[in-house]
Amino acid sequence: MLSLYTFLLFFLSLSGLLHAKSSDGDSVLILVEESHKKDFSLFYEDLKEHGYNLTFRAPKDEKPSVVDFDVPAFSHIVILASESKNFAKDITPQSLVELLSGGTNLLVGLSAKQTPLTSLASEFSLILPPPATPLISFFPERKDPPSVIPINAPASSLIISPNTSPIWFSGVPFALGNNPLLVPILNAPAESFAADSEGGPDVLVDATERGGEGLWAGSQLSVVSGFQTTNGARVTWLGGVDMLSDKFFKKDVSKGVKSGNARFARDIAAWTFQESLVLRLDSTTHHLVNSTIPQEQYTTNDNLVFTAHISRFHPRTATWEPYSGIKDMQLEFTMLDPHIRTALPAVAGSPGTYSTTFRAPDRHGVFKFVVDYKRQGWTHLQSSTTVALVPPRHDGYPRFLSAAWPYYAGAISTSVAFFIFSAAWLAGESREGKKAKGGKAQ
Amino acid sequence: MPPKPATAPAPSSAVQSLWKAYNDQTPDRLKFIDAFLVFLMLSGIVQFAYCVLVTTFPYNAFLSGFGSTVGQFVLTASLRSQVNPQNKNEFKDVSPERAFADFAIGSIVLHFFVFNFLG
Repeated sequence: MLSLYTFLLFFLSLSGLLHAKSSDGDSVLILVEESHKKDFSLFYEDLKEHGYNLTFRAPKDEKPSVVDFDVPAFSHIVILASESKNFAKDITPQSLVELLSGGTNLLVGLSAKQTPLTSLASEFSLILPPPATPLISFFPERKDPPSVIPINAPASSLIISPNTSPIWFSGVPFALGNNPLLVPILNAPAESFAADSEGGPDVLVDATERGGEGLWAGSQLSVVSGFQTTNGARVTWLGGVDMLSDKFFKKDVSKGVKSGNARFARDIAAWTFQESLVLRLDSTTHHLVNSTIPQEQYTTNDNLVFTAHISRFHPRTATWEPYSGIKDMQLEFTMLDPHIRTALPAVAGSPGTYSTTFRAPDRHGVFKFVVDYKRQGWTHLQSSTTVALVPPRHDGYPRFLSAAWPYYAGAISTSVAFFIFSAAWLAGESREGKKAKGGKAQ
Repeated sequence: MPPKPATAPAPSSAVQSLWKAYNDQTPDRLKFIDAFLVFLMLSGIVQFAYCVLVTTFPYNAFLSGFGSTVGQFVLTASLRSQVNPQNKNEFKDVSPERAFADFAIGSIVLHFFVFNFLG
């Protein structure tokens, strides 16, 4: 049995190596201009290596269509045609939003030019600088033009793998709105700013005279940002598509040190195409303590057990495996408001199981077990189970209470006294009656 | 202000004479009823004090326990007035036997409700 299992696992992992997959499907549409198609060959190779089927299409082509019979035809769409002003009829901001709500993932490149995608970006709380103002930085000193910037990978990031070399970037930065669904991936360097590339340092002088107003600068700006929609689809916005180009993949950041672009491209593709940081809430159950059968209704003050099973997607094996790594999940027991909000910790020794025990509130009504786990970068986990909480049945209460014994004694003694009184009264009547009769006789 | 020693014995003698008059002039049967009434009153007072001082918690139990003493007191008091020979003119149609039957049925109904409500 064990050997069979290991055999199966072996084959599974073998097949996984051959077809490492996204949790969402492996068909990718790449929208790229014919003239730039060859610029990204290393990126395509990487995607193919990870099991994706690539389809290419120029922005103005009509075929292959993005939506077939109202069903999205591709699991993922990569828009590398960042400078195209005209797209085919089926690539509009509205249709892209519709695709997202249908679960298609997007990887979108922006550019300093004003395109239809620029207006779409602002719908995702990205605030773009005025057109034709790319990111510029004169640090560190280098031979490249000031608009080609090496950006250090963040020290700790969920999405970017650790120890990634600096990443070459050329494109526009954007400020992030306060949308909680945004996932900042790569921020601009602190000494960079957005300006007309010909303007150079004069822009800074002008901005200084105005007290810094209107200058897009600093590490609060982002150059790559993710956005995860409420239904789990992911969009990644690149400030410039050159990051994914062969030129930047091969370009050295310092002597002998390759840039981190290849690794970075892999990381953001993995996140965007739902390979990494993908969780799934497999099932939830609830039951009474000392029982295993879920009930539709519970009694107030019952002790309840709630259990959730969570899996995480492993792209290497393309399997869902139980995941116990969540430390900060909470369970809410709500009727309009959460009456109880308690930690939902992992159960030791049982992978992927999270369980908690709590006492139901002393309040009857229709309650919901709510798990609402939303963390930046991770798939959102949501679950809601409705149960009724009813007061005890007529025979569910304790019948005789020790506190009430004086009352019981009072009522019982009154009854007993009534019987004794009645008996004595009747006895006295018959005696008196005899006495009266005797009196008459005398 | 009247002198104290003159007034002090007067109330006690009044109570004493009242007690004496009660003992002498009241028929034994009425005294027996009065004893029952005193018992009910004390029982009611004890329950009420417990309710005020300790707990009202099973409030239904308090209501039925206290209600049984009050109800029984009322029924017994009406029995007393009906069988009192001095009230014969008031209750010409009510014989003492009839009065007792009313009392007994009233009480049984009362106790039925009390025990229903008690637990």
